[in-house]
Amino acid sequence: MNLIDNKFFLPKKLLNNRITYFIVLLLILFNFTSCKKKTGVDNRLVYWSSNNIYEIEFAKYVVGEWNKNHPDLPPIKYQPVPEGESSEEIILAAVVGKTTPDIYSNIWQGDVEAYAQAGVLIPLDTLKGFNDFIYQRSDSSVVDEVRSSDGHIYQVPWKINPVMMMYNKKIISNLGLKDAPRTYDEYFKSAKLFQRDANGDGYVDRWIGFSAIKTSWWQRFFDFYPLYLAASNGAPLIKNNKVVFNNKYAIGVFTFLRELYAKNYFPKERLSNRQDVFLSSVIATRFTGPWEIEHANKFKPKGFKFSFSSMPVPDGHKGPVYTYGDPKNIVIFNTSKNPQLAWDFIKFFVSKKNDFKFLKLTSQLPRRKNIERDSLFIDYFNKHPKMKIFAKQSKYIRGTDVSPVLKEVFDMISQEYEASVIYGTKTPEQAINDAAKSVSLLLYNQGK
Amino acid sequence: MIPYLIISPYIIFFLIFIAFPVLFSIFLTFNKWNIISPMQFSGFKNYIRLFQDALFFKSIYNTFIFLAINIPLQIVIALFLAEILNQKIKFRGFFRAAFFLPVVVSGVVVTILWQQLYGFDTGLLNRILVSLGFGRIGWLIDPKLAMPSIAIMATWKNVGLYIVLFLVGFQTVPKQYYEAADLEGASHWQKFFKITMPMINPTIFLVVILSTVGGFSLFIEPYILTGGGPLNSTLSAVLYIYKEGFFYYHMGYASTLGLFFALIIVSVVVIQKKFIEKEV
Repeated sequence: MNLIDNKFFLPKKLLNNRITYFIVLLLILFNFTSCKKKTGVDNRLVYWSSNNIYEIEFAKYVVGEWNKNHPDLPPIKYQPVPEGESSEEIILAAVVGKTTPDIYSNIWQGDVEAYAQAGVLIPLDTLKGFNDFIYQRSDSSVVDEVRSSDGHIYQVPWKINPVMMMYNKKIISNLGLKDAPRTYDEYFKSAKLFQRDANGDGYVDRWIGFSAIKTSWWQRFFDFYPLYLAASNGAPLIKNNKVVFNNKYAIGVFTFLRELYAKNYFPKERLSNRQDVFLSSVIATRFTGPWEIEHANKFKPKGFKFSFSSMPVPDGHKGPVYTYGDPKNIVIFNTSKNPQLAWDFIKFFVSKKNDFKFLKLTSQLPRRKNIERDSLFIDYFNKHPKMKIFAKQSKYIRGTDVSPVLKEVFDMISQEYEASVIYGTKTPEQAINDAAKSVSLLLYNQGK
Repeated sequence: MIPYLIISPYIIFFLIFIAFPVLFSIFLTFNKWNIISPMQFSGFKNYIRLFQDALFFKSIYNTFIFLAINIPLQIVIALFLAEILNQKIKFRGFFRAAFFLPVVVSGVVVTILWQQLYGFDTGLLNRILVSLGFGRIGWLIDPKLAMPSIAIMATWKNVGLYIVLFLVGFQTVPKQYYEAADLEGASHWQKFFKITMPMINPTIFLVVILSTVGGFSLFIEPYILTGGGPLNSTLSAVLYIYKEGFFYYHMGYASTLGLFFALIIVSVVVIQKKFIEKEV
């Protein structure tokens, strides 16, 4: 039986008419949405900032100033990076959909090489005035660090958050120490003195420090990598697409951390499930960045005092103590309608005056040479002594090596880290050697 | 024309969201693609890499370990509880609802809750053990215990669904069989094993299939609880494929792993069908 012809259903003609109307309606709607695209030429440049509230405030200020001072130029339109699981994912989605902004600040330095090799970034050194500017802002070592493997520079070094050792001043002084432990030996001695079972249940519940036992690649920015940079005076992990971390420094760092776990000076538990273990004096030190200052000041108990010191180094270490700077930079995407104008805006964005404004608003350090000695910044650092420690450290920081597969490199190191440092199933020598082999194979396949 | 128009929404949905992704992922298995760079034809390289990838086979092994613990545990507990909840006990409705509740709670919420229970230092389970004079257990930090701990959690989460299925299965057993068994003087458990169990074989088969397919897709629990650790002991196949695809953007290789894993699932289900499914 043909249901359509059944008298209990709609007559065929009427139904056909309804379907026709429906299709026509859909077409009209589709046409409307398609026509929504502006007919006029939109010559505004789009700038995406991070969605940190302080950075949004800074972005609003800088964009407002620029637009006010340049009424004759196409305006800059600012917006925070759209919400997503991570800004990296959003940028990737925008790259794939060719909906990238003209300018993006807050790109992780380690991500830039992959985008540069994919050809989605503007080589900034081809723009007028870039080369003079970059050497004015940064040391040659920083310029070399951000130079891509093809010899071009695709990013402007913008801001850093160096990883240092935060310590509880009262605990350190109660242990009879004048200052925070500086070497591995001093760290072990402090750890032994501080370790105890406070509640008497037969389990240690006070540790010298803590580092999450997760194997996430980025977790190594808070233990292995800054310690490696500190021990090796800032040596790279990869150079010219070859592994160079198979050395005594990496083995030394694995040995140091392995002993901390083996002697229960570091817990194997995920302490993140409870209240802040540093502020509740469960641990005495933590490897972290300047973002902790505001958090600690806000939530610390009465009388709690803390400060920052450089990362622990091997006994007998000579020279400055380097660390990881967690650099975030600025790029121009090749979808930009006017790269030269975008570059002119970036120059204004990272001018000394705006860097100072950025520091005041966000408590993050601009990556600018001699910042700790600059007359504009000195007063701020004198009023914020903890930030001054980071400013002094900023001279001795490293970002990341140039590689499009950096996350995989850190993931491979993380796998071996877990096996050797946390579970002790491999010697540090074996683990570093195995990590080096895996990374070499990865780089070889990548280069093919 | 009209019938085609009526079924067209599903056909369009099927073509866009099922057929195209499947065909595209098969196409990707012969390519190297990281989303942002142009695709490169790589022949059978992804397949060769798969057979040399020890970590992938470890993730499959881990998944089978999970299934080996989870499926029997779920079936035994679900059958036992369903049998009790099939009796005329007090608060039966409440208990039925209570056992089903975890099924409708988000997997992420359940996992975070169990993370608190499993904590080594502050977890409730270890606190209870210590208060009873036992030692702490490294539920999630001991490589030998991490996967069984996840299997226990998954059982708690899913058992309610299987209780409901078994309760439905029980209703299909004709009452006359029990009456005849009563006349013969059969005990309660004799009736359960000799009448109920054979009669609900199709339900058991359904539960085995559902828990097998569900177990093969193990992802949220290790992703949130352990990240695949310790020492990759909870790295499930789906978590590994996810990492390759959406973390490293090895789209070609992840598609190859996905295709291979799909074939494994189909094979297991076919084998199960052969051995478990019987005519009632």
